[in-house]
Amino acid sequence: MIINFNTAAIAAIACWALGSLLSLLARRTPALKIPAFILSFSGALVMVAYIAFYWTLLDRPPLRTLGETRLWYAALIPLVGFLVEYRWKIEWLKYYCMGLATFFLVINMLHPEVFDKTLMPALQSPWFIPHVIVYLVGYVLLAASSVTALHNVSLQIRHKENTNGESVSHYLALLGFVLLSFGLIFGALWAKEAWGHYWTWDPKETWAFLSWLAYLGYLHAFSYKIDRSKLQWYLALSFVVLLVCWFGVNYLPSSQNSVHTYTQS
Amino acid sequence: MAVVRRRWFQTPWEFRESVLFTASALVAGFFIEFATSGRGLVLPRLPVNAIALSLFAALILSIGLGFRNSPIVKWFGSIPLGLSLIFAIALLSLIGGIVPQDAVSSGSLATRSGFNHIFSSWPFALTIILFLANLGLSLSWKLVPFSMKNIQFILFHAGFWIALSCGIFGSSDLQRLIIPVEEGKAGNLGYTMGSNTPQQLPFSVFLHDFSLEEYAPQLLLYDPHNDKLLMNKSQAVIEVRKGATASWEGLDVLVLDYIPFALPGEKGIPQPAEISTGIPYAKIRISAASVQQETWISTGSPILRPDAATLGNLFLIMVPGTPKSFRSAVTVQDSQGHELMANLEVNKPVKFMDWKLYQMGYDEKAGRWSKLSLIEGIRDPWLPAVYLGFFMIMAGNILFFWNGIKRTESAS
Repeated sequence: MIINFNTAAIAAIACWALGSLLSLLARRTPALKIPAFILSFSGALVMVAYIAFYWTLLDRPPLRTLGETRLWYAALIPLVGFLVEYRWKIEWLKYYCMGLATFFLVINMLHPEVFDKTLMPALQSPWFIPHVIVYLVGYVLLAASSVTALHNVSLQIRHKENTNGESVSHYLALLGFVLLSFGLIFGALWAKEAWGHYWTWDPKETWAFLSWLAYLGYLHAFSYKIDRSKLQWYLALSFVVLLVCWFGVNYLPSSQNSVHTYTQS
Repeated sequence: MAVVRRRWFQTPWEFRESVLFTASALVAGFFIEFATSGRGLVLPRLPVNAIALSLFAALILSIGLGFRNSPIVKWFGSIPLGLSLIFAIALLSLIGGIVPQDAVSSGSLATRSGFNHIFSSWPFALTIILFLANLGLSLSWKLVPFSMKNIQFILFHAGFWIALSCGIFGSSDLQRLIIPVEEGKAGNLGYTMGSNTPQQLPFSVFLHDFSLEEYAPQLLLYDPHNDKLLMNKSQAVIEVRKGATASWEGLDVLVLDYIPFALPGEKGIPQPAEISTGIPYAKIRISAASVQQETWISTGSPILRPDAATLGNLFLIMVPGTPKSFRSAVTVQDSQGHELMANLEVNKPVKFMDWKLYQMGYDEKAGRWSKLSLIEGIRDPWLPAVYLGFFMIMAGNILFFWNGIKRTESAS
């Protein structure tokens, strides 16, 4: 992709690997807790700093291509892990989160993108940043919710005790749903200004609507007091719809005329 | 403990009945679609659609409030039916998200079944009507008696009801017309997508000037035998400016001079020219293994041939940058004497009476030299209602977020 990306990515991954290692050791030696946190947190900070650097280099927000959005996921996903640990005292999620962030960075290292400063006129809008960031954060929360739900399912299968897991996956899904709603509506308001109509059933819109419906369905099933342990499966699987919306739409037959294909020129 | 299973259709109805009902509605919808040869649903326009929607809303409200204890009505406004309908809408959207929505191949199975125009098909319309009824009933019970406790529910559900119903019932009143205008001329005819019959507009658009600004031109290495562009070592798009460098395998290029707007001069040395006529020129130094050459290259224009540098079997070319912005200076006028001068630009539409005018496109072959501007005129009388729905959903969501966080605090 560009200058120094590999250095930043390797530094971040090293921070997460060492941080995770220390964090595991801290179970025996509690004194290691703080250095473990500082190291893990630094990984995310490295990515935040890199995004800021890349932004100034590009003269535009690095939010145009999938590769660019993966930088944001790599920075944000670990932060959700730390937040959940702080809020619900659940430790294991952050390891998944750092692993996922590493995965995104590795994809970017294997598929370097062309460094391109241009931004087509339709994307030059005050809606660009809020629309994409709200979605990014929403996806991150829902990814974490799905991972938590999967973990809950595996605990159920192994008949292990699970104290907070189901409420964590629920609240992450709730917050994620709120952000999806905002992303959807911001997108509609932007589309009205840029393309003339707020809703045209563009394949990406349709899939975003589908993902939104999936979580809308979850929230109603939850409020109808359907067995929470069954709903963990639902939450884990909803994420598949989200993945199609997130990366898969480009490969569907319907995407020929989409304004959301993010192909590189 | 023995679980007593509820029999089919034993009240209160739950998921089984809801799924059966929803599935029947889908089957009926697809049957009507097929029987009418996939013509879809043609909605009435104003004022008929507004009257129909108001009557529908009044009917739901009165049934909801008048028969709130009837088991059938209770079920009709219940979560099990709502969930089934949400899944039905999701299923139809899934079809619409996979099958291209182009609806041109008439007579084909995709058309007859409604698959290629799913969002205007009968099954979709029936599902949405039932969903609006379900949502409306549950809403009526939270509205009366009113309580501040229900405000989050009301904002979200009423907002969704308004946005969805007005978006769909109002879609027949949406007018989108493409207005082609040439520089120095006025146009008052609009074309719909895919139709050659123009429609008379209630106003005319005079185009004073169309202008397009490009990003800096790019340097590319072209292999004509394989029809391929070769990626340079830095994996970056190379913007041409004085001092820019680029490297390929065994090849280094330095831009010695760059003139954004120039015309060919004597002895092959370009002379700076006006923006309206000039094209980008760059003087480059190419260093290969043993040779070094300096030459001028240019992007060319509709009337000037581009100049490229030849390197064995390869060409070093300069292509115009992608469009950065384009705008049309226009005067819009209607027969009552209303007049508006404006600059139309992408993302910056302009309002004229109850129309919104958008910079849509231009003659892409001519690029920067286009004398033609495509302007889109859009009229959507239902937009304020849909936006009201959007803002209510957002307000409801803010409360949902807030309450969600508060509840987690009390839970932990």
